[in-house]
Amino acid sequence: MIERLLAKLPRGARAIAWVGILVGVLAFWVALPPLAIRHPILPILIGVVGIGLGIGALSRGVRRLAWGAVVIGVLGIALGYLATRSSVGHLDQVVVWSALTAAMLRYATPLAFAAMGGLFSERSGVVNIGLEGMMLSGAFFGILGADKLNHWALGLLCAALAGAGFALIHAFFAIHLRADQIVGGFAINFLAMGITGYLFIDIYSGEGTPPDVSDIPDVHLGFLKDWYFVGPIFGQLNLMIWLAALTIVATWVVMFKTPIGLRIRAVGEHPRAADTVGISVYKIRYAAVVLSGVLAALGGAYLSIGFVNSFNQNMTAGRGYIALAAVIFGNWRPWGAAAAALLFGFSSALAQRLPAYSESAAVLFQALPYVLTLIAVAGVIGRSIPPAAVGRPYKKQ
Amino acid sequence: MDERPVLELRGITKRFPGIVANDNVDFDLRKGEVHALLGENGAGKSTLMNVLYGLYRPDEGEILINGKPAELGSPRAAIEGGVGMVHQHFMLIPVMTVAENIVLATEPVHNGVLLDYAAAERRVQDISNRFGLAVDPRATVRDITVGQQQRVEILKALYRGADILVLDEPTAVLTPQEAQELFAIVRSLTEQGKSIIFISHKLNEVTEIADRITVLRRGKKIETLPAAGATEEGLARLMVGREVLLRVEKGPAEPAAPLLRVEGLTVEDDRGLVKVRDVSFEVRGGEIVGIAGVDGNGQTELIDAIAGLRKVKAGRVVIGDEDATDKGVRDSLDAGLGHIPEDRQRRGLVLDFSLAENIALHDYDHQPASHFGWLYPKRLAEKARTLLQEFDVRGGGPQTLAGGLSGGNQQKVVLAREIDRNPKVLIAAQPTRGLDVGAIEFVHRRLVGERDEGRAILLVSLELEEILSLSDRILVIFEGEIVGEFAPGVTEEELGVAMIGGGKKAAA
Amino acid sequence: MSGPDPSPFGPPPDLGPPKPPESGDSASFASRLALAQRAGGAVVPLLTTILAFLIGGLVVLATTGKNPLTTYKAIFEGAGFNWFFEVGSYQLRVPFTDSHIWFPWNTNDFESLAALNLQQTLIFWVPLVFTGLAVAFAFRCGLFNIGGQGQYLVGSIMAVWVGSSLPQLPGLIHIVAAIVAGALAGAAWAGIAGLLKALVGAHEVISTIMLNWVAIWVGVFLFGLGGPLQNDTQEFVPVSNDILDESKLKVFWGDPLLQGLHVGFFVAIAALVVYWITLNRTTLGYEVRAVGYNPEAARYGGISVAKNYFLAMAISGTFAGLAGAIDIVGWQFRINTNDVLLSSIGFTGIAVALLGRNTAFGVALSGLLFAALITGTSTRNLDPEIFKPELASNLTLLIQGLVVLFVGADVLILSLLGLRKRRRRRAVETPA
Repeated sequence: MIERLLAKLPRGARAIAWVGILVGVLAFWVALPPLAIRHPILPILIGVVGIGLGIGALSRGVRRLAWGAVVIGVLGIALGYLATRSSVGHLDQVVVWSALTAAMLRYATPLAFAAMGGLFSERSGVVNIGLEGMMLSGAFFGILGADKLNHWALGLLCAALAGAGFALIHAFFAIHLRADQIVGGFAINFLAMGITGYLFIDIYSGEGTPPDVSDIPDVHLGFLKDWYFVGPIFGQLNLMIWLAALTIVATWVVMFKTPIGLRIRAVGEHPRAADTVGISVYKIRYAAVVLSGVLAALGGAYLSIGFVNSFNQNMTAGRGYIALAAVIFGNWRPWGAAAAALLFGFSSALAQRLPAYSESAAVLFQALPYVLTLIAVAGVIGRSIPPAAVGRPYKKQ
Repeated sequence: MDERPVLELRGITKRFPGIVANDNVDFDLRKGEVHALLGENGAGKSTLMNVLYGLYRPDEGEILINGKPAELGSPRAAIEGGVGMVHQHFMLIPVMTVAENIVLATEPVHNGVLLDYAAAERRVQDISNRFGLAVDPRATVRDITVGQQQRVEILKALYRGADILVLDEPTAVLTPQEAQELFAIVRSLTEQGKSIIFISHKLNEVTEIADRITVLRRGKKIETLPAAGATEEGLARLMVGREVLLRVEKGPAEPAAPLLRVEGLTVEDDRGLVKVRDVSFEVRGGEIVGIAGVDGNGQTELIDAIAGLRKVKAGRVVIGDEDATDKGVRDSLDAGLGHIPEDRQRRGLVLDFSLAENIALHDYDHQPASHFGWLYPKRLAEKARTLLQEFDVRGGGPQTLAGGLSGGNQQKVVLAREIDRNPKVLIAAQPTRGLDVGAIEFVHRRLVGERDEGRAILLVSLELEEILSLSDRILVIFEGEIVGEFAPGVTEEELGVAMIGGGKKAAA
Repeated sequence: MSGPDPSPFGPPPDLGPPKPPESGDSASFASRLALAQRAGGAVVPLLTTILAFLIGGLVVLATTGKNPLTTYKAIFEGAGFNWFFEVGSYQLRVPFTDSHIWFPWNTNDFESLAALNLQQTLIFWVPLVFTGLAVAFAFRCGLFNIGGQGQYLVGSIMAVWVGSSLPQLPGLIHIVAAIVAGALAGAAWAGIAGLLKALVGAHEVISTIMLNWVAIWVGVFLFGLGGPLQNDTQEFVPVSNDILDESKLKVFWGDPLLQGLHVGFFVAIAALVVYWITLNRTTLGYEVRAVGYNPEAARYGGISVAKNYFLAMAISGTFAGLAGAIDIVGWQFRINTNDVLLSSIGFTGIAVALLGRNTAFGVALSGLLFAALITGTSTRNLDPEIFKPELASNLTLLIQGLVVLFVGADVLILSLLGLRKRRRRRAVETPA
């Protein structure tokens, strides 16, 4: 087992690039608590080593990873330098690793759910801009169900059904009517905003959701309590965070280890080829889109009944789009999208904690996911290659 | 060989709006034989096979497999009936492995749900050994050669238990060596009891590989004959038909100075494969030079390079006195090039534009169509009105959308636009493809008329008849090289031999 | 270089299937829209709107039990359309003068609620026309500019910055400078997406979505507490400085203190004309449309596809940037971070363009519809006795969504109308 894992480790230039990335991160890390090196020379030296490793890997033809190492090396120097200039008090306040990590997980969870949903839809060849709306519907119907049916599990069920409903509309227009998938997804976002907002006002008459709604419980792992670092992070996490991790693994297994996944990918790459061996393109696409709605809605439900325990109009505030960005940034792969969700979650967590430094600059971290994705689609650091047939309606002969 | 037919198609008729693609076609296939389906492009071969594979429903007729009527409404039903198809454009997923492509939709599983990759690779290896089709199950389809991709397609059919294998123009994309390998595979398959339908329009390979040959022409079955004893000449006659050729009235050419010179041109396609290799020729004012060749031998890349639509790898293109190599479309046009493109709907016309706007496609940014970026729609319309009248375009006026016209009238619009620019050189690529007889005659007369005006005309066509009746000189292109030059008196058979590489280096 | 493929998400697979005889679907979305436009004329958008309002009415009926017609009538009046029915014999002051002429409508603006409401509607109409034109122009080049919101925001940000600084500039020049700065910012923002499309073929939908959110967070950063452009005097309000008085647009109808209608109204009308002229009377428009309908034919005709992708996006962004700039100098005068986060003028522009079928006239009309919906359902204008404004504004979103959904599905609407024959006819030409 261990041998098989070892065999899968990157080799040669790829390994060099990975080491470069880690060294680049280290350059920043040494300047932060608990080490908090106060002299800038160390982060700079370490960063230069990281950049050197990146360039070395680059010369051996590993483009994407190597550029990543170079960029992270430069960032590591810059951030490390800034950290050495900053007061230790401030640093201690912001950089509480366990708290940051826990916050990252909280912010990444809704993204991960929706990103896995987006992955299914896009891999089957249907663009899903409607993730945002489906997420929002999950947030509202989740809390509505939990409130009216008095149990968070029933709330999750309602959320899933609502997400599936919106996804079904999208699927019908995109697959059967061969409407433009972007326009359709966009309409879903409008619709979801209108319907959730309307019902929210109608049912809760603008006073907000009641504070005593049944919410998704945390998972207490008592035995972790006293473990250094790990305890504060994993000792008390919301159930949905664990479920998100499970969903990522399940997505990977389904997508790459089962016949269903092979068929989904075939339909997204070359629907006619799939059709000629007897796969029903329509059925696969319907199933994938509906599943994407369900997952996005679960992510939304986590927001309302797992995270903040209330609902506001348009409370997803672009998280569906970040999930879409995570799919693209992660190159349409489950682990890649999950890593992107974590990265984007981390930038949200930073944005939440940085106001100790500057009230306004912190929000720039909210823009980070979008900037990174923009750079990714620009092909500066390797190209993101979408499924070949994504966005194209399929017509049976 | 077994005389019992494993497959019978009886009285198959398939109509598309406007044409009858298959008209009461009978066809049968015996166990262990190679039965070739021969015909020109558009003769209805692919339609017939799509009917067999359940992609089209026939309007009339029935299909019998092993003597029993079969209802083949979908590819799945065809697969279950033992029919496998190797499409001309492969139905393979480039980013997946060979094994994944082959087992798709009939995947082996372990533990009930997980895809058993090891078993898939083993099974692929097994059948690839059994039938002598060497492939690497773990290779990604994108990375293997076209010939190997074709083997994967064949394996896909065999994996699904196909006894009847349809190969649709299998050699169209292969090199001669790969084609020979394919023939070896086909022979070994028939030895193991598989029956094969071999679709082609290439005479030499049909006589080489087939046991029997059925000739289709314009959707009708002409004859089924044994391959033994069939000659390429005889088959060519059956394929093309004996109808009176559309002879074009024309006097002898009076060639003047060369207006188009192509020197040592080498061009690659989008994938970086050399499609045109060191081609040199010239076309003089007042003559029509025809380029004959089988589809896909570099004609498209040659035209694109001359017209400035594709960068050349080496060599020069001179239009009139100007070097137009790699100057781009605009400069080639300005140097005096007119270009009737192969595909008028995809490239020649903007179907959603009015005829007036289409006629302005090259000159919209010059006077009188525009001035300082300001467009004069009235002038466009006036010019269009004159041209539409001159070229006898029917079915609409200047404001009619191009998409609303019939094919013949669309082509007249393209012709009008290109000729009206008074070009020194006119490239006519497949100028009569898909047109009716009246429109063909019009286009032909007009091309001859332009020749007599002193223009240099380069005619590229897949129709031998057209090449023979229009050209003053004929060049034959084969695998990107000019392999022969002929006078217009040459017979179709002679040309045909050169076009399939038979006369290579032998020509004058 | 050859232009990138216009169809979504990159070039088609190499091993693409042969075209079946009836596949008319390879046409770009722009040309499908164009087809729908000619096939259905005004019928499809009208039908779409009616259908959307019917469904919206059912929602009203089902959830509140109120008569939808009463609700719609209240929205209608909230939008000030009843102003047109208050016919009598009145006098109208000619703008910028003190002379009066006879006028059939009540123009005693300070007393007429209808006039006040109508002014509000028209104030919203102005940016909707601009953002609608932004989306429409890109569409005509075969591009889907979803980034109107971001371009609108950078336009407002630049306008607020220029408008609130440079006090030494004289009035008119200051206004022009603010507007031009906004327009250029919008052009640059959209130009990024255009450039990525032209150079590396990055899909414009993805890049404009990302640019939207970058613009939103940059806006929040700039005007948030401690941000570089946050108000100089009010330290604890996340708002920009007010623009200087001399850089505000003149109000020509109504009371400037009550947000009367500013002269940006005429700029919007001019933009409609410019849009039409650019597309139909200039070589630029010719190229843009050719690329939009058939990039391959455009290339064959000697048109640079890449150049037009970039230009079309930049022009599109100019329109959206103008929307933001004119909103600032016309009536907003400042931005707070909530505006940045909650504004959806740019998104509504997509609905405006889709419903308006990308024509100048259509954009003007559908812009009016959406402006009326926004105004008519606002807290300030809708009679809460009849229908809760908070509910109604969500009803607006719902109707918008339905309109976009149905307009996108031209196949559905056209097949309902039996208008697909023309497409068949075109397809006949290419048998297998």
